[in-house]
Amino acid sequence: MPESIDALQRANPRAEVGFAETIDAVGAEVRLRIAVAGARDEPRVGQVRPRRRILGLSAAGLALAAAVVAVFVTFDSSSVTPGVENAAAAIKQAATLTAASAEQSGTVDVRITHGGQPWASKVIRWNGNDVEINDLGRKPSSGSPLLVVNGLLYGHDPQHEGWVQLGPVSNIDPGSGTTPTEQLDAIREDVGGTTLQRMVAGMSANGLTTKNQSDGSTVYSGTVAAGQIARETGFKEGQTIRVFPFGYVAQGAAANAASRLDTAVTVAAAGVIRRLAVSWGTWTYTVIYSSLGSTPRIVAPAHATSLLKERMRAVHER
Amino acid sequence: MSEDRSQRFDALFTAYGPDIVAYCGWRASSPTDAQDAAADVFLTAWRRIDSVPEGEAARVWLYATARRVLANQRRSRRRHVALQERLAAEPPVAASEAPDSEAALVHEALLRLGARDREVLLLAEWEGLTPAQIGTVVGCLAVTARGRLHRARRRFRAVFQDLGSEGRASRDRPLLAKEGPEHA
Repeated sequence: MPESIDALQRANPRAEVGFAETIDAVGAEVRLRIAVAGARDEPRVGQVRPRRRILGLSAAGLALAAAVVAVFVTFDSSSVTPGVENAAAAIKQAATLTAASAEQSGTVDVRITHGGQPWASKVIRWNGNDVEINDLGRKPSSGSPLLVVNGLLYGHDPQHEGWVQLGPVSNIDPGSGTTPTEQLDAIREDVGGTTLQRMVAGMSANGLTTKNQSDGSTVYSGTVAAGQIARETGFKEGQTIRVFPFGYVAQGAAANAASRLDTAVTVAAAGVIRRLAVSWGTWTYTVIYSSLGSTPRIVAPAHATSLLKERMRAVHER
Repeated sequence: MSEDRSQRFDALFTAYGPDIVAYCGWRASSPTDAQDAAADVFLTAWRRIDSVPEGEAARVWLYATARRVLANQRRSRRRHVALQERLAAEPPVAASEAPDSEAALVHEALLRLGARDREVLLLAEWEGLTPAQIGTVVGCLAVTARGRLHRARRRFRAVFQDLGSEGRASRDRPLLAKEGPEHA
């Protein structure tokens, strides 16, 4: 066989580090999708559901989905101890419950620290199709809230210190992937969709330790390959960009897909994930979930200025 | 869920899961997309388990399904990347270390091939499909697939050898010459 073809065969991705783990993660993801699909109405033959289907899980189907997941996670677990197997099943079930709980409404508080100091933070609340994103940033001036209520986008006007109604979200870069609606879809995916499932599958595949807390919660600790958490989203200036859930670019070791990151998932007594914490070097990335299913309705600002009306008035005054 | 159906699906995933994960890995735009596509392929298999053929034909059926899933994914990918770039607020950091030279050479040679050449070549060399199976996956006659594969191998060898020569020439060059003349 020529040297070139021989070299080509040696470069087969099956030989790459982490390939077995990827298969495990896909297996877990498939089983979750099947569980969710099975808990819903029978799909049309040939229909491939969109990736955010997890959030469409109905309350009635939740128990069934959780049960199916509990059955499926015992698959291919011959190499782990019964205790670890149970922990893996429990954390995967918690991820499914969290996704279902987050379907209607929820709040997440995302924080990044570097060397113990705040680096960035963001609070996101959603209820139905309405969302509030409060990016607190690193500087006080960068805190610019964004609201979507009843299909209308509201932003903060730094000049008048008031709210501006920027118009229907459907008019904003339609189809570009950057509309608030599409951002909300991505946020929901990060809360309970494929990202969370991938993290949990990665943790389960590499051994879990559990610690019961006095408040009834359980902390599951393990390591996850950075590539399972921070998605590769493209290249910029010749470098790979990896982005954590909720839109923060991975820094340091987290930018290397193969790096093992310390991960801890706190599951509340009710069985829903309350906190995710990922740490590497001097960095920590934390997501705190709250009010899943009980976040209040997002209310439109009472005295928002309409950007459209302002522009119309400016035209008339000319 | 029927136990038979579940057992058949488990057997399918055990037998061919690594193949489809690997295939999606080199065809998708990113590792995340690859995992998503592979999961979609098996979800489709689950839904159509009664029409998935038996034996080796099931493997080819999965590859063909994966090809369609990836094509659909590619259509929507631009939109998704635009969103992620907007959400990404921080500057990127340095990429991971360079791959070893032979793997880098192979990947560079593959990148220099046309997409069609690359696809048939890797279906044969990485996935181990026969020309007839490749024809089923990509939707052409076996004889056409055989011809494409022959040409793809020939082109790959040529590009690989060219790159190898370039690399050797570069390595053989004196360090100073590589870095440019010394300051006067």
